[in-house]
Amino acid sequence: MTERDLLHPPSVTDERHPSDLAEILERVLDKGIVIAGDIKIDLLDIELLTIRLRLFISSVDTARRAGIDWWETDPALSSRAARDSLAQENAELRERLHALESRVGAEELSPVGAAGEEERP
Amino acid sequence: MTRAEAPALTYAFAVCRGGDLTASAEPLAELPGFGTGTPVRTLAAGPLTAVVQDVPAAGFGEEALRRRLSDRAELERCARAHHAVITAVSALAPAVPLPLATVYLDDGRVREALGERETSLLTALDRIAGRAEWGVKVYAPTGPPPAPEAAPGDGPGSGRAYLDRVRTRQRGREQRHTLALRAAERVDAVARGLAVAARRLRPHGVEVTGKHRTHVLNAAYLLDLGRERELRAALASLRRDETDVQIELSGPWVPYSFADGGLVDDGAAP
Repeated sequence: MTERDLLHPPSVTDERHPSDLAEILERVLDKGIVIAGDIKIDLLDIELLTIRLRLFISSVDTARRAGIDWWETDPALSSRAARDSLAQENAELRERLHALESRVGAEELSPVGAAGEEERP
Repeated sequence: MTRAEAPALTYAFAVCRGGDLTASAEPLAELPGFGTGTPVRTLAAGPLTAVVQDVPAAGFGEEALRRRLSDRAELERCARAHHAVITAVSALAPAVPLPLATVYLDDGRVREALGERETSLLTALDRIAGRAEWGVKVYAPTGPPPAPEAAPGDGPGSGRAYLDRVRTRQRGREQRHTLALRAAERVDAVARGLAVAARRLRPHGVEVTGKHRTHVLNAAYLLDLGRERELRAALASLRRDETDVQIELSGPWVPYSFADGGLVDDGAAP
Protein backbone atom coordinates (compact mmCIF):
# COMPACT_ATOMS: atom_id res chain seq x y z
CA MET A 1 0.00 0.00 0.00
CA THR A 2 2.41 2.62 1.15
CA GLU A 3 5.25 1.32 -0.97
CA ARG A 4 3.28 2.65 -3.90
CA ASP A 5 4.72 6.00 -2.98
CA LEU A 6 8.19 4.74 -3.66
CA LEU A 7 7.35 3.12 -6.96
CA HIS A 8 5.18 5.87 -8.38
CA PRO A 9 5.96 9.30 -7.07
CA PRO A 10 2.51 10.78 -6.76
CA SER A 11 1.71 14.06 -8.39
CA VAL A 12 -0.96 16.45 -7.32
CA THR A 13 -2.96 15.84 -10.44
CA ASP A 14 -3.17 12.09 -9.89
CA GLU A 15 -6.34 10.54 -8.59
CA ARG A 16 -4.88 8.79 -5.62
CA HIS A 17 -6.20 7.30 -2.41
CA PRO A 18 -9.61 7.83 -0.80
CA SER A 19 -8.35 10.60 1.45
CA ASP A 20 -7.51 12.61 -1.67
CA LEU A 21 -10.65 14.74 -1.40
CA ALA A 22 -10.15 15.34 2.31
CA GLU A 23 -6.58 16.40 1.61
CA ILE A 24 -7.70 18.87 -1.04
CA LEU A 25 -10.50 20.21 1.14
CA GLU A 26 -8.33 20.76 4.18
CA ARG A 27 -5.98 22.76 1.99
CA VAL A 28 -8.39 24.84 -0.06
CA LEU A 29 -10.94 25.59 2.64
CA ASP A 30 -8.85 27.35 5.19
CA LYS A 31 -5.34 27.51 3.89
CA GLY A 32 -3.65 30.08 1.80
CA ILE A 33 -2.93 33.63 2.72
CA VAL A 34 -5.97 35.36 4.08
CA ILE A 35 -7.02 38.19 1.85
CA ALA A 36 -10.67 38.89 2.26
CA GLY A 37 -12.84 38.57 -0.80
CA ASP A 38 -15.88 40.77 -1.37
CA ILE A 39 -18.16 37.78 -1.12
CA LYS A 40 -18.06 36.40 2.39
CA ILE A 41 -18.81 32.75 2.92
CA ASP A 42 -19.25 31.70 6.49
CA LEU A 43 -17.41 28.42 6.81
CA LEU A 44 -19.42 27.80 9.95
CA ASP A 45 -22.49 27.50 7.80
CA ILE A 46 -24.22 24.53 9.28
CA GLU A 47 -24.26 22.19 6.28
CA LEU A 48 -20.66 22.86 5.40
CA LEU A 49 -19.73 22.39 9.03
CA THR A 50 -21.50 19.04 9.03
CA ILE A 51 -19.56 17.90 5.99
CA ARG A 52 -16.32 19.02 7.58
CA LEU A 53 -17.11 17.29 10.84
CA ARG A 54 -17.72 14.05 9.02
CA LEU A 55 -14.58 14.31 6.95
CA PHE A 56 -12.36 15.38 9.78
CA ILE A 57 -12.19 13.92 13.22
CA SER A 58 -15.70 13.78 14.46
CA SER A 59 -15.80 15.13 17.99
CA VAL A 60 -13.75 16.77 20.65
CA ASP A 61 -14.20 13.73 22.88
CA THR A 62 -13.03 11.31 20.24
CA ALA A 63 -10.02 13.47 19.59
CA ARG A 64 -9.19 13.85 23.26
CA ARG A 65 -9.42 10.11 23.76
CA ALA A 66 -7.05 9.78 20.86
CA GLY A 67 -4.69 12.24 22.49
CA ILE A 68 -5.21 14.67 19.65
CA ASP A 69 -6.12 18.23 20.49
CA TRP A 70 -3.97 20.63 18.53
CA TRP A 71 -6.82 21.57 16.23
CA GLU A 72 -9.17 22.56 19.01
CA THR A 73 -8.57 26.23 18.53
CA ASP A 74 -10.00 26.08 15.03
CA PRO A 75 -13.45 27.61 15.40
CA ALA A 76 -14.66 25.87 12.27
CA LEU A 77 -14.22 22.49 13.88
CA SER A 78 -14.49 23.08 17.58
CA SER A 79 -18.11 22.59 18.50
CA ARG A 80 -17.81 24.92 21.47
CA ALA A 81 -16.37 27.71 19.35
CA ALA A 82 -19.12 27.11 16.81
CA ARG A 83 -21.78 27.26 19.53
CA ASP A 84 -20.32 30.42 20.98
CA SER A 85 -20.27 32.10 17.64
CA LEU A 86 -23.85 31.03 16.91
CA ALA A 87 -24.96 32.27 20.32
CA GLN A 88 -23.28 35.58 19.69
CA GLU A 89 -24.86 35.92 16.28
CA ASN A 90 -28.21 35.02 17.81
CA ALA A 91 -27.85 37.71 20.47
CA GLU A 92 -26.92 40.29 17.86
CA LEU A 93 -29.89 39.38 15.70
CA ARG A 94 -32.25 39.59 18.68
CA GLU A 95 -30.88 43.00 19.49
CA ARG A 96 -31.39 44.21 15.94
CA LEU A 97 -34.86 42.71 15.81
CA HIS A 98 -35.72 44.40 19.07
CA ALA A 99 -34.47 47.74 17.74
CA LEU A 100 -36.47 47.32 14.55
CA GLU A 101 -39.56 46.31 16.46
CA SER A 102 -39.43 49.32 18.71
CA ARG A 103 -38.91 51.59 15.73
CA VAL A 104 -41.81 50.03 13.83
CA GLY A 105 -43.90 50.06 17.01
CA ALA A 106 -43.22 53.73 17.53
CA GLU A 107 -44.16 54.53 13.96
CA GLU A 108 -47.31 52.53 13.48
CA LEU A 109 -48.30 50.91 16.74
CA SER A 110 -47.62 47.40 15.47
CA PRO A 111 -45.36 45.81 18.05
CA VAL A 112 -44.56 42.66 16.07
CA GLY A 113 -43.46 44.35 12.89
CA ALA A 114 -42.68 41.02 11.25
CA ALA A 115 -43.87 42.03 7.79
CA GLY A 116 -40.85 44.20 7.16
CA GLU A 117 -38.32 41.61 8.33
CA GLU A 118 -38.15 39.97 4.93
CA GLU A 119 -35.97 42.71 3.60
CA ARG A 120 -32.51 42.39 4.92
CA PRO A 121 -30.38 45.48 5.25
CA MET B 1 -21.61 43.88 -22.09
CA THR B 2 -21.32 41.32 -24.87
CA ARG B 3 -20.26 38.23 -22.99
CA ALA B 4 -23.38 37.67 -20.99
CA GLU B 5 -26.37 39.48 -19.72
CA ALA B 6 -25.75 38.49 -16.14
CA PRO B 7 -23.28 40.56 -14.16
CA ALA B 8 -19.92 38.89 -13.60
CA LEU B 9 -17.77 38.63 -10.51
CA THR B 10 -14.02 38.05 -10.45
CA TYR B 11 -12.93 34.79 -8.84
CA ALA B 12 -9.29 34.79 -7.69
CA PHE B 13 -7.30 31.53 -7.53
CA ALA B 14 -3.71 32.44 -6.82
CA VAL B 15 -1.15 35.23 -6.75
CA CYS B 16 2.25 35.23 -8.45
CA ARG B 17 5.05 37.69 -8.92
CA GLY B 18 4.22 39.73 -12.01
CA GLY B 19 7.26 38.96 -14.14
CA ASP B 20 7.15 35.26 -13.38
CA LEU B 21 3.89 34.61 -15.09
CA THR B 22 3.38 37.04 -17.97
CA ALA B 23 5.66 35.20 -20.38
CA SER B 24 4.19 31.79 -19.70
CA ALA B 25 0.55 32.41 -18.90
CA GLU B 26 -0.81 31.05 -22.19
CA PRO B 27 -1.54 27.53 -20.92
CA LEU B 28 -3.90 29.04 -18.34
CA ALA B 29 -6.41 30.03 -21.00
CA GLU B 30 -6.87 26.34 -21.79
CA LEU B 31 -8.04 25.56 -18.28
CA PRO B 32 -11.76 25.13 -17.67
CA GLY B 33 -11.60 26.64 -14.19
CA PHE B 34 -15.19 26.60 -13.01
CA GLY B 35 -16.45 25.72 -16.45
CA THR B 36 -18.15 29.06 -16.85
CA GLY B 37 -16.99 29.41 -20.44
CA THR B 38 -14.74 32.33 -19.64
CA PRO B 39 -10.96 31.95 -19.79
CA VAL B 40 -8.74 31.69 -16.75
CA ARG B 41 -6.61 34.82 -17.10
CA THR B 42 -3.99 36.92 -15.41
CA LEU B 43 -4.63 40.29 -13.82
CA ALA B 44 -1.67 42.57 -13.15
CA ALA B 45 -1.61 44.50 -9.88
CA GLY B 46 1.65 46.34 -9.34
CA PRO B 47 4.45 43.81 -8.81
CA LEU B 48 1.91 41.03 -8.42
CA THR B 49 -0.28 39.10 -10.83
CA ALA B 50 -3.50 37.43 -9.81
CA VAL B 51 -4.88 34.44 -11.67
CA VAL B 52 -8.61 35.01 -12.02
CA GLN B 53 -11.73 34.00 -13.89
CA ASP B 54 -14.96 35.86 -14.59
CA VAL B 55 -17.81 33.98 -12.96
CA PRO B 56 -21.55 34.71 -13.05
CA ALA B 57 -22.94 36.51 -10.02
CA ALA B 58 -25.89 34.12 -10.12
CA GLY B 59 -23.68 31.17 -9.23
CA PHE B 60 -21.02 32.87 -7.14
CA GLY B 61 -22.85 35.43 -5.07
CA GLU B 62 -22.93 34.96 -1.33
CA GLU B 63 -26.21 33.07 -1.14
CA ALA B 64 -25.49 30.88 -4.17
CA LEU B 65 -22.01 29.99 -3.00
CA ARG B 66 -23.19 29.10 0.47
CA ARG B 67 -25.80 26.80 -1.01
CA ARG B 68 -23.28 25.18 -3.34
CA LEU B 69 -20.59 24.68 -0.75
CA SER B 70 -23.14 23.09 1.57
CA ASP B 71 -23.77 20.37 -0.97
CA ARG B 72 -21.21 17.61 -0.69
CA ALA B 73 -20.94 16.88 -4.43
CA GLU B 74 -20.85 20.54 -5.37
CA LEU B 75 -18.28 21.29 -2.68
CA GLU B 76 -16.09 18.57 -4.15
CA ARG B 77 -16.51 19.89 -7.68
CA CYS B 78 -15.62 23.44 -6.60
CA ALA B 79 -12.67 22.32 -4.49
CA ARG B 80 -11.23 20.24 -7.33
CA ALA B 81 -11.74 23.03 -9.89
CA HIS B 82 -10.04 25.52 -7.58
CA HIS B 83 -7.21 23.12 -6.83
CA ALA B 84 -6.68 22.24 -10.52
CA VAL B 85 -6.13 25.87 -11.49
CA ILE B 86 -3.77 26.47 -8.59
CA THR B 87 -1.78 23.37 -9.45
CA ALA B 88 -1.50 24.46 -13.08
CA VAL B 89 -0.41 27.97 -12.11
CA SER B 90 2.15 26.64 -9.73
CA ALA B 91 3.69 24.57 -12.52
CA LEU B 92 4.40 27.85 -14.34
CA ALA B 93 5.61 30.01 -11.46
CA PRO B 94 5.72 30.15 -7.67
CA ALA B 95 2.14 30.82 -6.61
CA VAL B 96 0.44 31.73 -3.36
CA PRO B 97 -2.85 29.82 -3.34
CA LEU B 98 -5.96 31.69 -2.22
CA PRO B 99 -8.68 29.94 -0.23
CA LEU B 100 -11.71 28.45 -1.97
CA ALA B 101 -14.39 31.04 -2.75
CA THR B 102 -12.22 34.17 -2.85
CA VAL B 103 -14.54 36.28 -4.97
CA TYR B 104 -14.42 40.01 -5.81
CA LEU B 105 -16.99 42.34 -7.30
CA ASP B 106 -14.67 43.26 -10.17
CA ASP B 107 -11.05 43.41 -11.31
CA GLY B 108 -10.53 46.72 -9.57
CA ARG B 109 -11.36 45.18 -6.20
CA VAL B 110 -8.83 42.40 -6.83
CA ARG B 111 -6.13 45.02 -7.50
CA GLU B 112 -7.07 46.88 -4.33
CA ALA B 113 -6.96 43.73 -2.21
CA LEU B 114 -3.58 42.73 -3.62
CA GLY B 115 -2.27 46.24 -3.14
CA GLU B 116 -3.24 46.19 0.53
CA ARG B 117 -1.41 42.93 1.13
CA GLU B 118 1.45 43.50 -1.30
CA THR B 119 4.29 43.14 1.20
CA SER B 120 3.03 39.97 2.84
CA LEU B 121 2.19 38.40 -0.52
CA LEU B 122 5.70 39.12 -1.79
CA THR B 123 7.13 37.67 1.43
CA ALA B 124 4.98 34.57 1.03
CA LEU B 125 6.17 34.17 -2.58
CA ASP B 126 9.79 34.33 -1.43
CA ARG B 127 9.10 31.75 1.24
CA ILE B 128 7.52 29.15 -1.01
CA ALA B 129 9.68 29.64 -4.12
CA GLY B 130 11.77 26.53 -4.74
CA ARG B 131 9.84 24.56 -2.16
CA ALA B 132 6.94 22.16 -2.09
CA GLU B 133 4.55 20.89 0.54
CA TRP B 134 4.44 17.20 1.43
CA GLY B 135 1.78 15.53 3.52
CA VAL B 136 2.65 12.78 5.99
CA LYS B 137 -0.13 10.80 7.61
CA VAL B 138 0.19 8.17 10.31
CA TYR B 139 -2.59 5.69 11.05
CA ALA B 140 -3.11 3.24 13.88
CA PRO B 141 -4.92 0.05 12.93
CA THR B 142 -8.03 -0.56 15.02
CA GLY B 143 -8.39 -4.30 14.41
CA PRO B 144 -9.39 -6.66 17.22
CA PRO B 145 -6.69 -7.15 19.84
CA PRO B 146 -5.08 -10.56 20.28
CA ALA B 147 -7.34 -12.85 22.29
CA PRO B 148 -6.34 -12.86 25.95
CA GLU B 149 -5.35 -16.20 27.36
CA ALA B 150 -7.92 -17.61 29.77
CA ALA B 151 -6.88 -17.55 33.41
CA PRO B 152 -6.43 -21.09 34.75
CA GLY B 153 -9.09 -22.26 37.17
CA ASP B 154 -11.80 -19.99 35.82
CA GLY B 155 -14.37 -21.53 33.58
CA PRO B 156 -15.25 -19.65 30.41
CA GLY B 157 -18.67 -18.85 31.80
CA SER B 158 -17.53 -17.29 35.07
CA GLY B 159 -18.36 -13.63 35.59
CA ARG B 160 -14.90 -12.93 36.86
CA ALA B 161 -13.27 -14.35 33.75
CA TYR B 162 -15.54 -12.22 31.64
CA LEU B 163 -14.60 -9.04 33.50
CA ASP B 164 -10.94 -9.92 33.21
CA ARG B 165 -11.30 -10.39 29.49
CA VAL B 166 -13.04 -7.02 29.11
CA ARG B 167 -10.39 -5.29 31.21
CA THR B 168 -7.55 -6.90 29.32
CA ARG B 169 -9.08 -5.92 26.02
CA GLN B 170 -9.51 -2.34 27.16
CA ARG B 171 -5.94 -2.16 28.46
CA GLY B 172 -4.68 -3.59 25.20
CA ARG B 173 -6.53 -0.95 23.19
CA GLU B 174 -5.16 1.86 25.30
CA GLN B 175 -1.66 0.48 25.13
CA ARG B 176 -1.75 0.15 21.38
CA HIS B 177 -3.06 3.66 21.06
CA THR B 178 -0.34 5.11 23.23
CA LEU B 179 2.25 3.24 21.19
CA ALA B 180 0.76 4.60 17.97
CA LEU B 181 0.81 8.18 19.25
CA ARG B 182 4.44 7.83 20.28
CA ALA B 183 5.31 6.37 16.89
CA ALA B 184 3.55 9.33 15.25
CA GLU B 185 5.66 11.77 17.25
CA ARG B 186 8.82 9.98 16.12
CA VAL B 187 7.71 10.14 12.48
CA ASP B 188 6.96 13.84 12.89
CA ALA B 189 10.36 14.51 14.44
CA VAL B 190 12.18 12.86 11.54
CA ALA B 191 10.16 14.68 8.87
CA ARG B 192 10.56 18.00 10.69
CA GLY B 193 14.31 17.51 10.62
CA LEU B 194 14.25 17.58 6.81
CA ALA B 195 11.77 20.43 6.43
CA VAL B 196 12.09 24.20 6.54
CA ALA B 197 8.65 24.40 8.17
CA ALA B 198 6.06 22.03 9.54
CA ARG B 199 2.43 22.23 10.42
CA ARG B 200 -0.11 19.90 11.98
CA LEU B 201 -3.40 19.54 10.17
CA ARG B 202 -6.60 18.11 11.58
CA PRO B 203 -6.75 14.35 11.59
CA HIS B 204 -9.30 12.82 9.27
CA GLY B 205 -12.53 11.33 10.53
CA VAL B 206 -13.68 7.76 10.12
CA GLU B 207 -15.53 8.63 6.92
CA VAL B 208 -12.16 9.19 5.29
CA THR B 209 -9.94 6.68 7.04
CA GLY B 210 -12.42 3.80 7.25
CA LYS B 211 -13.26 2.01 10.47
CA HIS B 212 -10.18 -0.17 10.38
CA ARG B 213 -7.78 2.61 11.34
CA THR B 214 -7.49 5.85 13.28
CA HIS B 215 -5.66 8.87 12.04
CA VAL B 216 -3.03 9.79 14.61
CA LEU B 217 -0.89 12.25 12.66
CA ASN B 218 -1.80 14.56 9.81
CA ALA B 219 1.11 16.87 9.13
CA ALA B 220 2.41 19.06 6.32
CA TYR B 221 6.07 19.79 5.72
CA LEU B 222 7.62 22.46 3.52
CA LEU B 223 10.62 20.96 1.78
CA ASP B 224 13.25 22.46 -0.47
CA LEU B 225 12.87 21.00 -3.96
CA GLY B 226 15.15 18.01 -4.27
CA ARG B 227 14.89 16.92 -0.65
CA GLU B 228 11.89 14.68 -1.23
CA ARG B 229 14.25 11.80 -1.95
CA GLU B 230 15.57 12.09 1.61
CA LEU B 231 12.04 12.25 2.97
CA ARG B 232 11.04 9.12 1.07
CA ALA B 233 14.12 7.28 2.31
CA ALA B 234 13.49 8.37 5.89
CA LEU B 235 9.87 7.24 5.73
CA ALA B 236 10.86 3.92 4.19
CA SER B 237 13.18 3.34 7.12
CA LEU B 238 10.51 4.41 9.61
CA ARG B 239 8.07 1.97 8.04
CA ARG B 240 10.50 -0.83 8.81
CA ASP B 241 10.94 0.27 12.42
CA GLU B 242 7.48 1.47 13.37
CA THR B 243 5.42 -1.65 12.89
CA ASP B 244 2.53 -0.40 15.04
CA VAL B 245 1.46 2.22 12.52
CA GLN B 246 0.95 2.85 8.82
CA ILE B 247 2.78 5.81 7.31
CA GLU B 248 1.63 7.53 4.13
CA LEU B 249 3.17 10.27 2.06
CA SER B 250 1.38 12.59 -0.35
CA GLY B 251 2.65 15.35 -2.55
CA PRO B 252 4.13 17.40 -3.90
CA TRP B 253 1.44 19.96 -3.06
CA VAL B 254 1.40 23.63 -3.83
CA PRO B 255 2.43 25.00 -0.40
CA TYR B 256 -1.12 25.74 0.75
CA SER B 257 -0.26 25.16 4.38
CA PHE B 258 2.65 27.58 4.35
CA ALA B 259 1.30 30.52 2.41
CA ASP B 260 0.09 32.57 5.34
CA GLY B 261 3.30 33.09 7.20
CA GLY B 262 2.63 30.74 10.09
CA LEU B 263 5.79 28.70 9.97
CA VAL B 264 6.85 26.14 12.50
CA ASP B 265 4.12 25.36 15.00
CA ASP B 266 4.80 24.97 18.66
CA GLY B 267 6.52 21.65 18.45
CA ALA B 268 5.65 18.08 19.19
CA ALA B 269 3.32 17.23 22.02
CA PRO B 270 4.96 15.33 24.88
